[in-house]
Amino acid sequence: MRRFVRDANPLVLLAIGTLAIVASLAVRDLQTACLALGAYAVAGVVLLPSPRFALARFGAIAVASVSLVWSTWWLGGRDLEVALTAGLRIVVLALPGAVLAAYVDPSKLADQLGQRLRLPARPVVAFAAAMQRFGALRETWGQLDRTRRARGFGPTRSPLSRVRHAVSLAFALLVSALRDATRMSVAMDARGFASAQRRTWAEPAPWSRADSALLALGVALAAVPWLVR
Amino acid sequence: MTGSVAFRGFGWRPLGRRTPVVAGLDLRVDPGERVLLAGPSGAGKSTVLRAAAGVLETTGDGDALGEVTTIGRVGMLLQNPGDAVVAERLGRDVAFGLENARVAPAAIWPRVRDALRAVRLPYGMQHPTSALSGGELQRSALAGVLASQADLLLLDEPTSMLDDVNADAVRRCVAEVVAETGATLVVVEHRIAPWLPHVDRVVVLGHDGSVVADIDPVSFVATLRDDLAGVGVWMPGVAAPEPVEPPVVLVETDRAVPRLDALALGVDLRRTDIRGATVTAALRDVDAALESRAVTVLSGPSGAGKSTLLEVVGGLRRPGAGEVRGLGRPPHRIGSRDLAALIGWVPQNPEHGFLTTRVRDEIAATSRRIGVPVDVDAVLVHLRLDHLADANPYRLSGGEQRRLALGAALAHRPPVLLLDEPTVGQDRGTWAAVTGWMRAAAGADAVIGAASHDADLAARADRVVPLEGGRNVAPGPAPAPAPVDDAR
Repeated sequence: MRRFVRDANPLVLLAIGTLAIVASLAVRDLQTACLALGAYAVAGVVLLPSPRFALARFGAIAVASVSLVWSTWWLGGRDLEVALTAGLRIVVLALPGAVLAAYVDPSKLADQLGQRLRLPARPVVAFAAAMQRFGALRETWGQLDRTRRARGFGPTRSPLSRVRHAVSLAFALLVSALRDATRMSVAMDARGFASAQRRTWAEPAPWSRADSALLALGVALAAVPWLVR
Repeated sequence: MTGSVAFRGFGWRPLGRRTPVVAGLDLRVDPGERVLLAGPSGAGKSTVLRAAAGVLETTGDGDALGEVTTIGRVGMLLQNPGDAVVAERLGRDVAFGLENARVAPAAIWPRVRDALRAVRLPYGMQHPTSALSGGELQRSALAGVLASQADLLLLDEPTSMLDDVNADAVRRCVAEVVAETGATLVVVEHRIAPWLPHVDRVVVLGHDGSVVADIDPVSFVATLRDDLAGVGVWMPGVAAPEPVEPPVVLVETDRAVPRLDALALGVDLRRTDIRGATVTAALRDVDAALESRAVTVLSGPSGAGKSTLLEVVGGLRRPGAGEVRGLGRPPHRIGSRDLAALIGWVPQNPEHGFLTTRVRDEIAATSRRIGVPVDVDAVLVHLRLDHLADANPYRLSGGEQRRLALGAALAHRPPVLLLDEPTVGQDRGTWAAVTGWMRAAAGADAVIGAASHDADLAARADRVVPLEGGRNVAPGPAPAPAPVDDAR
């Protein structure tokens, strides 16, 4: 059961994420919000290889959600139900996509985009190559953090200093990612990518029955808030 | 058919540099030749290779002069093995060049399998590339080159970031591949000796990128040995240079740290990726003593935990178990500024350490931050970077960047110096300057710790702490300098 998502067609995973945005449009009140979120949560617990990972992603989205609840409550007539609904709507909108995107295998996605959807090969391949570098960002972050600390440019205990430090690190990370991208494009061009206007694909882009089933489930989940109105 | 490349009056000036890195280069490499390209740091060796591969413009803007004619399919290996990875799975990564060459899918996989076998990678097609070590990554990149049936192999310091065992494996694979396919080979490397048996021609570039020698390997060693060692090239049969110490005012510290003791350190490294977290034990119950007035080298193969130990000792990583004594408090609890006044840490990858956009500012940054006056010009002169004082750190060559990172980390004269692979990829001149800095600081009462697999550096150390697999191992016999006839 849990292999289901891991082996799923990346297009299906992205479709479910996008359908969640459609679902969020139907979230009008606390009841629909809870039902929609509950449906996604049940599906997640049953199907996801690691529900703990989904919880971690939820943490990031919760920050956005809480700030939205607060500002809606403060500015929108201090109505708690309206505020909570707005907050939960964001969770419905973002969480399924944020969790499922993590299970997308970049090469498989490129295969599907290039062969099934027939998008232009070069941008698709470049995108996939960039995507598989995501994991390295965390290590670079650690490196940048350590050098700054060793050279006296680390944060002090004050929260403001920590925030400023994080912003500076994020910028440095961005710059370093751009430089990595340059070196990577040298490597790719040196492997014949520069002149590959048309190219072949080493692996096929299959669509299985399980993919159809998963897509149907995604449609059903997105329909929940629309149907209970 | 095998490849060839010809340079006619070739020159290259990167944007923002007043002088070209290469000027007026005339060089022909004929089909089937195996050429070693040597020269001091900053001589433009990488530039020449990139021009031959037709990817010079991809690396950044600049003015190109003359012409470069490349015939045949190009395969390139870069210095940093991670740069070439384009896919999450090994098989797909090796297949990349074949896809670009529009090989039919059915024909791709047998060639990928053959290539992986030729470079002796024992993994399946689904093996994640993120789980490969540096040496294995270089061999998988070589497999990619091999699978694409490249006619012209361009290798840019492919082994400089690897330890001896891995470097040896990569060299052997390259030699086998070239012997089998008859491909043309151009290799750039600081460690010349191990390559000499595999090439039939040696081209030496001077400081301005012009050809100063073009000769067969045997006469090369016989006639040019001492001349080239003099301009900084590591030559077989020439012992490591004497360390060149900077003026004592550049290293004299006014704080005293008598010793640092690492006691029963344990560190788990957590790698989180999409499919969950993997925890590897980087250090297990490791003890190390770093004394002042002494250079202590942490030695061992890659993956031994040398860098992690250095980071824990320097308060840059919190140990999971054990403690570090000697700075009054656990080092990882000391605030950044106070820590900077106590330690100088030279990271292995210099790129991630730069904070400013000018070489001069980079040297002065930490001193200014903690309020210590420093003679920036004298530091630049010792590191032979004085002509680049106003350049952007990111536009320097690999060797120059490493020198700058060293100066930036140590110019404020901390009493504890921690250096991570400080001699990797350095020419003789820089080697002498870097080891000289360590010796001089030791003479001025500092505590010096260096993580390194450089046998010549270990030979100049006062103490060696050998590590393997994250544990202390019994110290071997006193470190001997690498045998002279195979020094580099």
